[in-house]
Amino acid sequence: MSRVLLARLIDLVIVLFGVSIIVFLMIRLIPGDAVAIMLGANTEITPERMAELNRRVGLDRPVIEQYLLWAGAALRGDFGTSLWTGRPVATEILIHLWPTLELTALALTMGAVLAVPVGCLMAQTRGGVADVAMRIGAIAGLTIPSFWLGIVMILLLSAWAPSFASLGYVPFSEDPLGNLQRMLLPSVALALPILANLSRLVRSAMLDALGQDYIRTARAKGLPERRVVYKHALRNALIPFLTSVGIMTGYLLGGAIVVEQVFAIPGLGRLILGAIAERNYPLIQATILVVTAGFVLVNFLVDFLYILVDPRVRA
Amino acid sequence: MFRSMLRGVVGAGFMAAALTTASAQVLEIGADNGPTGLDPHLITAFPSFMVVNGNIYEGLTAIDKDLKIIPSLAESWTVSEDGKTYTFKLRSGVKFHDGSPMEAADVVASVKRLLSKDMASPLASRLSAVESANAVDAQTVELKLKEPSAALLSSLSVIAIVPRAMETNKDALQKTPVGTGPFKFQEWQPNGYILLAKNEAYWDKGLPKLSGLKFNIVPESATRQVGLTNGQYALLPNIDAATALQLKGRPNVKLAETMDLAYTLIGMNVSKPPFDNPKVREAVNYAINRQEIVEAALFGAGVPGGPLSPALKSWALDVKEFGCYAHDPARAQALLKEAGVAMPVAVSMKVLPRQDIKDVAQVVQEQLNKAGFKVELINQEQGQFIQDWRNSNFDMFASINAGQPDPDEYFYRTFRTGGSTNVFKYSDAEIDSLLDKARTLSDQGERKRAYDQVQKKLACTGPVAHLTYGTLFSAMNDKLKGYDVVPNRSLMMLRSASY
Amino acid sequence: MKSLAKNKLLTFAVLLVAIQLILAIGAPLIAPYDPMTQSVARRLRGPSDLNWLGTDQLGRDVLTRILYGYRTSLIACVLAVGVALLAGGALGLFAAYYRGWLDRIIMRIMDVLFAFPVMLLAIGIIAVLGPHTYSAAVAIAVVYTPIFARLLRGPALVLCESEFVAGARAIGSSDARIIFLHILPNLASVILVQTSLLLSAAILVEASLSFLGLGTQPPTPSLGLMLSEGRNFLMLSPWSAIFAGFAILFLSFGFNLLGDALRDTLDPRLRGQP
Repeated sequence: MSRVLLARLIDLVIVLFGVSIIVFLMIRLIPGDAVAIMLGANTEITPERMAELNRRVGLDRPVIEQYLLWAGAALRGDFGTSLWTGRPVATEILIHLWPTLELTALALTMGAVLAVPVGCLMAQTRGGVADVAMRIGAIAGLTIPSFWLGIVMILLLSAWAPSFASLGYVPFSEDPLGNLQRMLLPSVALALPILANLSRLVRSAMLDALGQDYIRTARAKGLPERRVVYKHALRNALIPFLTSVGIMTGYLLGGAIVVEQVFAIPGLGRLILGAIAERNYPLIQATILVVTAGFVLVNFLVDFLYILVDPRVRA
Repeated sequence: MFRSMLRGVVGAGFMAAALTTASAQVLEIGADNGPTGLDPHLITAFPSFMVVNGNIYEGLTAIDKDLKIIPSLAESWTVSEDGKTYTFKLRSGVKFHDGSPMEAADVVASVKRLLSKDMASPLASRLSAVESANAVDAQTVELKLKEPSAALLSSLSVIAIVPRAMETNKDALQKTPVGTGPFKFQEWQPNGYILLAKNEAYWDKGLPKLSGLKFNIVPESATRQVGLTNGQYALLPNIDAATALQLKGRPNVKLAETMDLAYTLIGMNVSKPPFDNPKVREAVNYAINRQEIVEAALFGAGVPGGPLSPALKSWALDVKEFGCYAHDPARAQALLKEAGVAMPVAVSMKVLPRQDIKDVAQVVQEQLNKAGFKVELINQEQGQFIQDWRNSNFDMFASINAGQPDPDEYFYRTFRTGGSTNVFKYSDAEIDSLLDKARTLSDQGERKRAYDQVQKKLACTGPVAHLTYGTLFSAMNDKLKGYDVVPNRSLMMLRSASY
Repeated sequence: MKSLAKNKLLTFAVLLVAIQLILAIGAPLIAPYDPMTQSVARRLRGPSDLNWLGTDQLGRDVLTRILYGYRTSLIACVLAVGVALLAGGALGLFAAYYRGWLDRIIMRIMDVLFAFPVMLLAIGIIAVLGPHTYSAAVAIAVVYTPIFARLLRGPALVLCESEFVAGARAIGSSDARIIFLHILPNLASVILVQTSLLLSAAILVEASLSFLGLGTQPPTPSLGLMLSEGRNFLMLSPWSAIFAGFAILFLSFGFNLLGDALRDTLDPRLRGQP
């Protein structure tokens, strides 16, 4: 097991290295003078400011040296300071990280928790009209644009329950109820595709499991049906479920970028969109790097859990 | 289960909402964009200006809602015979938010800071006439000018006075502003909100009435609208007609409106074909149907406008004076033929990334294409747009500009040969001499005559096709009293508002 | 009975996709109006017998713009997924066929690209290329390349071990001939299913990017852009935003259902997997 783990760990390091190179090269691929374009968002430039910025971004050194400096600093958590606000980039990312994390965690939990009963229901009604309907429903849930869903929800809410809609963001620590109330709509908008995806997964795993020998044995032993379903079959569904959760995180991050815009949540999506409008490349670079590294780590952890759960891989 | 949980959350939400409205008097404002920085000498964009101007910082003078110059940190002033020396008597007992007193040394330091090469302030051109600033005594400041400047008092309204210690510090104020205004900076949650608290030591006793301002940054228009109608936000400042129209007649919502100083425009690069030819520029004016733009992009809430806003009643000429403002595509085509350019005239137009400007650009594109042009729209991010704008890297562009209370503040830097924002590379001897002369005149009648000539010439063959002046709206909860919308988009009236 | 239901579903999916494809291709013939013609007097109207789906903020016909929007979306996404399929497929096959260090290098690079969340990498690419329909397409192509490479490498590895490839080698067939004539056809069903599913996802990504102002730009008709423009006028007339949203949903839904139904039909073992 430790050998499998070690191999995965090496993979992880290689991937992270590759990711850092791509992110690093991004700023060099920008056509024209990146520094001049960055300064474009301000209205006046002096040569001094230009030189200072050049130094700050480090574009005046050989490429390899630039990369080593940049990557070394990034490993220490130092991404420099944001060009316009003067705040350290690491702080900017940290401030914007929590709302996004909360949003994705809520959506993931909501989707995952509901997926189990829905998937079981789907498995039990297999083959009938209800099965087809649910399948179509699941695909619709998967392909519904979450930003559109968000807007429609706001629209309906303002028509039917205008006093309910609380918008924006309050940290959980300041006002837990206000926080949950505000997060409800955006996480529902994000959770729907998760629910659709995971419930399909639960369904097929259940179907798979229910046909297996050990389930038949359990049934033959006279165990109650509910216990058969939930204990034996569900455990079987856990592995694909876990793998899927890793992939879903990536999807959620993408969805969160758009949903945050609609619901005025100050998360990473807003940070990176703002950075693009200002052409704040160091901030764009750092955000992409940190989020991708996080995503890679989540998938690594999922793999790790997978190895723990599934004895076959351990061997 | 889920249902009852939902009900619980909803109920608790109602309670929380009730509690907050009862206890606090912090005015919740819904803003579409967050500021990029808060240093009053570096920022020019509306989202920053709105937070800073008149709330956190004040200038020696201020502009009221009728665009009149009123005293602010200067109680009074005198101008010398030759118009080259201004002496300001400062208000006494004014303190900065950090507790230090505001004195002549701070004013001098602020002027120097603004003009220093190191700051590279975009506002520096407003004070280009200033030769030196001296503190006569703690309460008296003297500004010496290289030449008379009729627009100086108006310009001083946007020159924030900062503590003298900031003269050499160009980073600190971007994050934590320190001013003399009725509200002091408290917290900035990027992309979330900016919170200002009441300045208990404000010089105008009894003000401000509100205990604070919270600028909530809400990019989505529909979300802001819902926030206002459900009482979460009490004010949506400086909104466009489309938003105002959607909020009109909603319960608990009232609208305030004024003529905007800001104008939509098409800029043309006169340093290269085809717009180096005045006939082509005139053709553009004939091709454009300004009334249609007002209808289409401004929802009828606005007027066709020339080089100066109709809000500047003592300066602006009626658009009927401009012959080329009569929509006449045939005449435009004829002018293009006269100019000898190959038709259709293929040009690109860069578009400022704002919904209203994107709409304006699409309408203008259609109009020009019907009159012998072939316009390609190029949409860019804000940063790239400004970069290309500054480097004169465009055929045409569509944009919106903040207007100025005094004609010189706009005309001189925009149309004078070598002017700081003359990105069109426009150069015309007659305009130059008129502008040079007009800024030194003290007689209002004479000045007006000079600017009339400038307006007439610029309107048809200038490098800018001025399009429209919109009606500027603010939507607010009807419990908000004492606030009105100001043409230059300052929220300075919030000091006397109550909620 | 069951297979009939399955085929019904497949028929339904094929029909749904085909209708939308025909609408997109035939837009210039079918559309009742010109997509650019503005009519301010008739702006922001709801559905009527003149404009079946209403008009947008500049008085353009929503139905017409949706039909042309289908074109924009489909051209961008088909192009993007096509490029990803060619590039990713080729890399995956070469990796499987040649093995060794080539395999390792290719697949490591694919791992790295695959590590990026799709929208994030797309945003990064657009930060470099500037906002445009084709930037969005490039972004989608780059992000989906590793998916095809991984998808095809596995089965291709198995095929390379098989007797008939060994046989082809023995009679002196060239590598290219083996790859394209022997291996590729055997992977057709996997490719078909995955292409359909990825097209469905790509449509959502393109719409999201356009919605954020990073993809297709005005005045080009695009579904995401219509939604983005329409949302500013929701309380005056929600129609263009609502119908554009449905159009995105139907298009993406059609391809996803098609992929799903194809998988059922072509490979019953995988039935029901997402």
